[in-house]
Amino acid sequence: MAIIITGRVTAFIFLLACLALFYIFMSLSKKGGKVSIRTFPAVAAIPEAVGRAAEMGKPIYYSTGYAMETISNPDQGPQTLAGISILGYVTKLAARSGVKIHYFTPIADSLPLVEETMRNAYLEEGKPEDFDPTSIHFFSGQSPMLTATLGFMQRERPAANIFMGGFYYEAVVMGEAGNTIGAMQISGTANTHQMPFFIATCDYAMISEELYAASAAIAQNPDILGTIKGEDIMKLVILALIGIGFIISFTGTTFLIDLLRM
Amino acid sequence: MSEVLRKEVVYLITAIVVITMIADYFFGIKQLNDAASMVRTWAVVISAMALALGAVNLMRAHGNIVRKRVPGRWIYSGVLIFIFALTTLLGLLNINNPSTNPLYKWLFDYPYTSLGQTLYAITGFYIASAAYRAFRARNIDAALLLLAGIFVLLKNAPIGEVIWVQLPVIGGWFNDIGQVPAMRTFLITAAFGLLAYGFRTLLGKERGFYGEVATA
Repeated sequence: MAIIITGRVTAFIFLLACLALFYIFMSLSKKGGKVSIRTFPAVAAIPEAVGRAAEMGKPIYYSTGYAMETISNPDQGPQTLAGISILGYVTKLAARSGVKIHYFTPIADSLPLVEETMRNAYLEEGKPEDFDPTSIHFFSGQSPMLTATLGFMQRERPAANIFMGGFYYEAVVMGEAGNTIGAMQISGTANTHQMPFFIATCDYAMISEELYAASAAIAQNPDILGTIKGEDIMKLVILALIGIGFIISFTGTTFLIDLLRM
Repeated sequence: MSEVLRKEVVYLITAIVVITMIADYFFGIKQLNDAASMVRTWAVVISAMALALGAVNLMRAHGNIVRKRVPGRWIYSGVLIFIFALTTLLGLLNINNPSTNPLYKWLFDYPYTSLGQTLYAITGFYIASAAYRAFRARNIDAALLLLAGIFVLLKNAPIGEVIWVQLPVIGGWFNDIGQVPAMRTFLITAAFGLLAYGFRTLLGKERGFYGEVATA
């Protein structure tokens, strides 16, 4: 039996190449090589949203969406984790400005991480006593979370809504309800089926991998920025492969397909 | 254990788990596959523990609301605690297969499912409202979006075929072919983003994963 499972050889080589590139660019970036990434309007708008909430004396609502109700899901879990990373930043800004932040989730196994993240954010701002665990709202399912969030929105009229994570049908409902009450809205998801709804209903939307890159944009840490550069190089490689595949498909040869399926 | 060492241990455990799972996907080595299977079982157990923590958090939060009689909220919190206790009790009565308990099954099949379906059904109105705002021809891009939207709408609405028999064909092209390359591009870029995120997590650089806060 082959050591590498048949059909996964090319994927393995590709993975190693990706990781090597990430590492090389991380090292270069650490040694002083300048890596800059474009500004994400959605990330740049977060302080504005917090400022708006401070001026209006109203809260900020934050949700990481349904995400199949678990952080163990291979597609949705990382989106939730990326959303929680950004939650830490938003909570920190909110703590600094004395703005109340409410977090809504149906993901039970994310609660300890969310609580730790928010507690740390308040702690780093020197206001641990301001952290209120009851501002983390857990609901036992997608629809209960949605109903409750809509109720909260109507009663409290938050100044801003931030939606970052693996959203499903709640994207359009929460986005539209938030739009109706005039809240400033920032969103991000890698779920392709929900991106159009966020784009239609929110003031700022991050799409696809921007959600994962957002924490890098916030931190501006050379280590993290290096991986974004590596990511861009791999995208160019894929683009070249697609182009080559398109051209050689006219010759009828299946060489590239066979190579990728190896 | 010092705070620094505690963090290093967490990074180390994460790295070992990530490497084990990646290796399990690519290599057909029995011992490795067994180890990965064991890690998956642990993940289920840890998730169950986190679920229990979630339940405790829920009761604590809503218990406080009821105790403080928070105006406009405490009644709902009281209902939630009552239903939570009732469902748990009914589940425990038939612990091996809770769905055999008729009252437990009724609670799930009728109030819960039907309310969930009702909420899902109103999504249509929200989509219509969002589409009304999105489909405004403010510039060329928006006009193209509007045009494609009209074709897809007329493909799905029976009247489209009545107006012109080719309308559903054009709408079908947008639906099945036109949008596919863009969606695949998003999928591919998201996969790279995920890979880079995983790599940063593996090296302990993505601190949000560990409950730490990214700072500007």
